[in-house]
Amino acid sequence: MSDLSTSLPVISARKLVKSFPMANGSELKVLQELDLQIEESEMVAIVGMSGVGKSTLLHCLGLLDTPTTGEITYRDGDRTWRSTDLSEDDRCQLRNHFIGFVFQFFHLLPDLNVLENVMLPTVISQETGEWNRNRSKLESRGESLLERVGLKGRERQSPGTLSGGERQRVAIARALMMSPKLLLCDEPTGNLDSRTSESIHQLLRELHQDLSTSILVVTHDPDLASRADRRLQMIDGRFQNDSADNPETS
Amino acid sequence: MKYHDYLTRRYLSRRWAPWAATVAVALGVFSLLTVLAVMEGFKVEMRERIRGTLSHLVIEADPFRGLVGEDQLLRTIKSIDGVKAAAPNVTTLALYKVGVMDHCVLRGIEPAAECQVSDLARFILSDDEINEMLKDRFMLLPADRDSMPVEQVEQLFSLERRRDVLRWRLQEDPGSGFSVDSPPKPIIVGIEALRSGRLSMGDVVQVSSYSPITLEPCSDNFLVVGAFQSGVYEQDLRWAYTHIRSLQDTLELWDDEAEDMRLSGISIKLDDYSQADRIKGEIRREVDRRMFLDQDHPDKIPLRSPSFETWEDKRANLIKAVEIEKRIISVLMLLIVAFAAGMIFLILMLLVIEKERDLGVLRALGATRSGVVSLVLRQGMFLCTVGAAVGLLAGWIFLENINGFHDLVYQWTGLRLFPPNVYYLERIPMVLRWQDILLVSLPTLVFGFFGSILPAIRAGRHDPIKALHHE
Repeated sequence: MSDLSTSLPVISARKLVKSFPMANGSELKVLQELDLQIEESEMVAIVGMSGVGKSTLLHCLGLLDTPTTGEITYRDGDRTWRSTDLSEDDRCQLRNHFIGFVFQFFHLLPDLNVLENVMLPTVISQETGEWNRNRSKLESRGESLLERVGLKGRERQSPGTLSGGERQRVAIARALMMSPKLLLCDEPTGNLDSRTSESIHQLLRELHQDLSTSILVVTHDPDLASRADRRLQMIDGRFQNDSADNPETS
Repeated sequence: MKYHDYLTRRYLSRRWAPWAATVAVALGVFSLLTVLAVMEGFKVEMRERIRGTLSHLVIEADPFRGLVGEDQLLRTIKSIDGVKAAAPNVTTLALYKVGVMDHCVLRGIEPAAECQVSDLARFILSDDEINEMLKDRFMLLPADRDSMPVEQVEQLFSLERRRDVLRWRLQEDPGSGFSVDSPPKPIIVGIEALRSGRLSMGDVVQVSSYSPITLEPCSDNFLVVGAFQSGVYEQDLRWAYTHIRSLQDTLELWDDEAEDMRLSGISIKLDDYSQADRIKGEIRREVDRRMFLDQDHPDKIPLRSPSFETWEDKRANLIKAVEIEKRIISVLMLLIVAFAAGMIFLILMLLVIEKERDLGVLRALGATRSGVVSLVLRQGMFLCTVGAAVGLLAGWIFLENINGFHDLVYQWTGLRLFPPNVYYLERIPMVLRWQDILLVSLPTLVFGFFGSILPAIRAGRHDPIKALHHE
């Protein structure tokens, strides 16, 4: 685990509470004053039973949802952003530049081919003229990312023609397109068979070592969790006290 | 932002259903534009024809009083600035009888003067034209047909003409039995009166009316010496012209008090019709002052003033009726466009539901809520604008060749969609105005906007978390 005094965390959440109103008027607290820090280039796995609030935490950290109370700080070098100060546009911009998402169900756009799916974040972030000027540069970056995830030569294919594992690789390439500081993976192998899962685990681990991106993985998969730098056990909206550095990877 | 156009292109190029909405918009715009242009054509054509038989300004007297002092009246009116010509007339309702009894509006005119104030010379037919028209009952005078020279028009009312017609008629039909030595008065009837078989050239008809002075019935024999075609069916069936002096004589219009023949009215042509309202007022003042105030007894209530109307005032109800008809049809046709916008709404709604997950992905990748709204809105407006443009273009091409298409349908099917005898028009009239183009395109775009904004708002309200939660 990195020394906090020398390296500041990429993301830190403090006293995060997320509650949902129930039909009977009471409140369901999904996250209960939760604290979390992820250091630069750190890979953290969150494990836990279904319904303990793993995905809710990921959505809050990924700025898709807002916590009821508490604050999340994002840091890139000297720049920091506090979740409480962010406007809607800032949140969108952070989602685009700072965070990369990998979902359980891949969520590729069927109307775009593989390369276009990978380039989608750049299409969202850039103006038409700028994008057209940079197009060849962006395409070659997309192609090299696809090559990195083992899909060279499949750029023009439709996502519908790919297997589950291949689709997840495209989704990972898409998440890395903007070189985000933080990659949020929500059950990335939850929908894949064990062999394919193994190759995705391998890929995530390799990417983590190659790139300086911090990775937060929410998973049920003990194998994937065991490959992370740190494994956090979540129970009832809190991290269990015994969460510790992974002996296998540290 | 780039992704709006980028994704709009992708979504629309891979689906045909949205284009069905575009086709519906195009059809609606096409129909609306065509109807507006044809209705406008009708309106212009009808106004032109009505205007042709009337002059710019019409002074009409109370039928029981009439106007007296023809020379003085005409001199006064012609002296007013902006008046080009003026012609006197006597008009009466009459019954005529040749075998059957029928009625007509009989107008006594001074041929040379009338030719200066109305399009009479353009409507009066030559003998050859009459023969052709009797053979082809759909034939209409071409719009660019030259006016008949005034001398020739005058000649139609002459004694010589009556002699010729009677001689010709006696040769054709020796049993007619009228003496050439005592020719009846001349009458020129509408071509439809001849076509319908009510009258024929050379017929001597007994015309009966009443005298507004004696209030007694009076009648005379008139000889059909010619025919006209004004292009307004009712007029071509019911109107007849004779010489003003002949009709004054028949109706016994000698006014003892004024020691002059009475008139029914005066037709006036102006240099510039746009000045009609101003000149109308001036003429009214002049005529009222000179004719209707008794100079010796200025406190006496003046005689009832005649009516002073432009030709549009005179036919205001008819012109208004066509205008209202056009408005009602426009509103009905706009419903087609509204229906097409409804299709855009449904299709976009389906697209938004189908693409819920994609929209969630876009939000997760950094698209703003307004960006997603704009993406859907743009798709709707794109479909609507393309539909409107295609409809306008197709409408324009169709309207430019509307009669060609009509002839083609007639050749292929033998079906006359536009029978000339019903509308009394040889060709389908059409006037495409930019106001009508705006009247079509603006509501289309507004409907398209309302059809698109609701699905767009729905797309913006999607919770990306829910959208991404399911496969």
